[in-house]
Amino acid sequence: MSLWARIASPEDRHPFFDQIEKLFKNRTGLVGLIIIIVFSLAAIFAPLISPHDPNENSLYDQLKPPVWNLEGSTKNLLGTDDLGRDMLSRLIYGARVSLTLGIVSVGIAFLCGSLLGAIAGYRKGWPDNLIMRLMDIILAFPHILLAIVIVAYLGPGLRNAMMAIGIINIPRFARIVRASVMDEYEKDYVTAAKAVGSSNRRIIFNAIFPNCLAPIIVQASLGFGAAILDAAGLSFLGLGAQPPLSEWGAMIAQGRAMILRAWWVMTFPGIAILLAVLGFNLLGDGLRDALDPRLRD
Amino acid sequence: MTIKTLLEIQNLKTYFDVRGGVLKAVDNVSLTIKSGETLGLVGESGCGKSVTGASIMRLVPIPPGRTAGGKILFEGIDILKLPESEMRKVRGNKISMIFQEPMTSLNPVFTVGDQVAEVIRLHEKLSQQETRERVIETFRLVRIPAPESRIKEYPHQMSGGMRQRVMIAMALACHPKLMIADEPSTALDVTIQAQILDLMNQLKEETGASILFITHDLGVIAEMAQRVAVMYAGKIMEGADVDTLFSEPKHPYTMGLMSSIPILGIGKNQRRLSTIPGVVPSLFKLPKGCLFHDRCSVSLKECDQSEPPMIDLGNSHFVRCHKYV
Repeated sequence: MSLWARIASPEDRHPFFDQIEKLFKNRTGLVGLIIIIVFSLAAIFAPLISPHDPNENSLYDQLKPPVWNLEGSTKNLLGTDDLGRDMLSRLIYGARVSLTLGIVSVGIAFLCGSLLGAIAGYRKGWPDNLIMRLMDIILAFPHILLAIVIVAYLGPGLRNAMMAIGIINIPRFARIVRASVMDEYEKDYVTAAKAVGSSNRRIIFNAIFPNCLAPIIVQASLGFGAAILDAAGLSFLGLGAQPPLSEWGAMIAQGRAMILRAWWVMTFPGIAILLAVLGFNLLGDGLRDALDPRLRD
Repeated sequence: MTIKTLLEIQNLKTYFDVRGGVLKAVDNVSLTIKSGETLGLVGESGCGKSVTGASIMRLVPIPPGRTAGGKILFEGIDILKLPESEMRKVRGNKISMIFQEPMTSLNPVFTVGDQVAEVIRLHEKLSQQETRERVIETFRLVRIPAPESRIKEYPHQMSGGMRQRVMIAMALACHPKLMIADEPSTALDVTIQAQILDLMNQLKEETGASILFITHDLGVIAEMAQRVAVMYAGKIMEGADVDTLFSEPKHPYTMGLMSSIPILGIGKNQRRLSTIPGVVPSLFKLPKGCLFHDRCSVSLKECDQSEPPMIDLGNSHFVRCHKYV
């Protein structure tokens, strides 16, 4: 089918567009993408769309239930927390925090992991052994525990939480990049690149790396969800975002005490986390289907 | 008039250290290539002809490979002694290589124009516009039609013949003195093969570059080369001018290869295709004495005792065989 499609198509398109098209045809991937776009728009336009200041206290509106409840009002659509702050506004601003955090921590993991993995896969021998054993050590720690240790060392706060999550995710990227680089290394175009006089650095980053991007993009998307989840966990433990910053994990921690009196304070941030992580995971799966050459028809 | 010697390989030994011993893939090989000359290197699969080519480019992976001895003099400089950074300036610039598989030797994620431009960028400081012009000029040189639009294509959008032209364009982009062509036409079908060989002959005339042409196909050699070296199990068995080699082959192996070429047609020429009995010896278990003696139809009694020396028959015809001692 693909052969005929290629011959029949009036102009040959960049394969990138085929993959985008495939992503759109894939329902789960599309749903994930839509969720992420909604959250991203909310984060970008938070000051415009949120009905209240997320940190504005209102002593008269403490623990108001959501609008569909008899005691609720249209003033606070999703109710208020124990300080009378508007839940909806806090959730919208929380998207900002979560997405920034995802970008930064996945960025750290992506850059360091790709670099280490590429060196390990290309050099082989002792650099490979050294780097990958280090990665094994990081992986041997329970995920969140290592993050807690790092934050405890650096001090609590959102910035350090992002770094900690970035660091604990380095091995995931390093392993995938190493495997892909080793795979690509055997290909003829690498020998051809050597034969025209490319330096090792150029061969790794200009010739091999672009060919390894597909699995890395998938991993980045899945890692985004995991990073948001980890950050929420750290914030829940009081090691991440500090009050009054509206971070979903911190909001859950804060609402935990009043789960029986005011369920909405804890439930809505939980749903927000669920949806965001779900969105990234669905997108990741969709991307895997779109980019994996073995699944191509 | 003496023609300048461009490349001189002296007693090159490229060995591979592998489990179970040392593989002598290239053993005591000496070759010379003159300016503007095509040297054909023929032999069966695994005889070391590709490793010889890779050794000149220093592309043999180390380890397991190593150069156990010999010299490769390129324009009088031993390139085996050059530091890696100097060697990078030679590769693709003064010596370039054309590979067997145009399907896989191009990077799938870049346009072919970019890939040719990369070679130029690595070796020459040209502006973006000049680089582009040089790429288009090189595409014209290798007779790619409509080069302005072709440079924007990806390898998968091109046919095998076009891709091999792109590979040749990459090899030619910096006007090299020597091109090593490792079975450049083997992966192509016969009509395209003829086109590519014609093209390479024309380009050799136009650019004056020497070619080391590695192949297993004697027919191709007859068309391409001025001199021929026949390789067997890591050693050169016979070397001569192409006419001499085809009209009066001296080594029993060369004779065997010649008579293994099928002859088309009916009549008194028709016969069963003759073959050389046996198979190429494993490089792990090379026979004692002459490497070819156990497959040889005319072997003498000293053949399994001592290795024959290279014998000069005059008229720059060399043969490694006891018959001519």
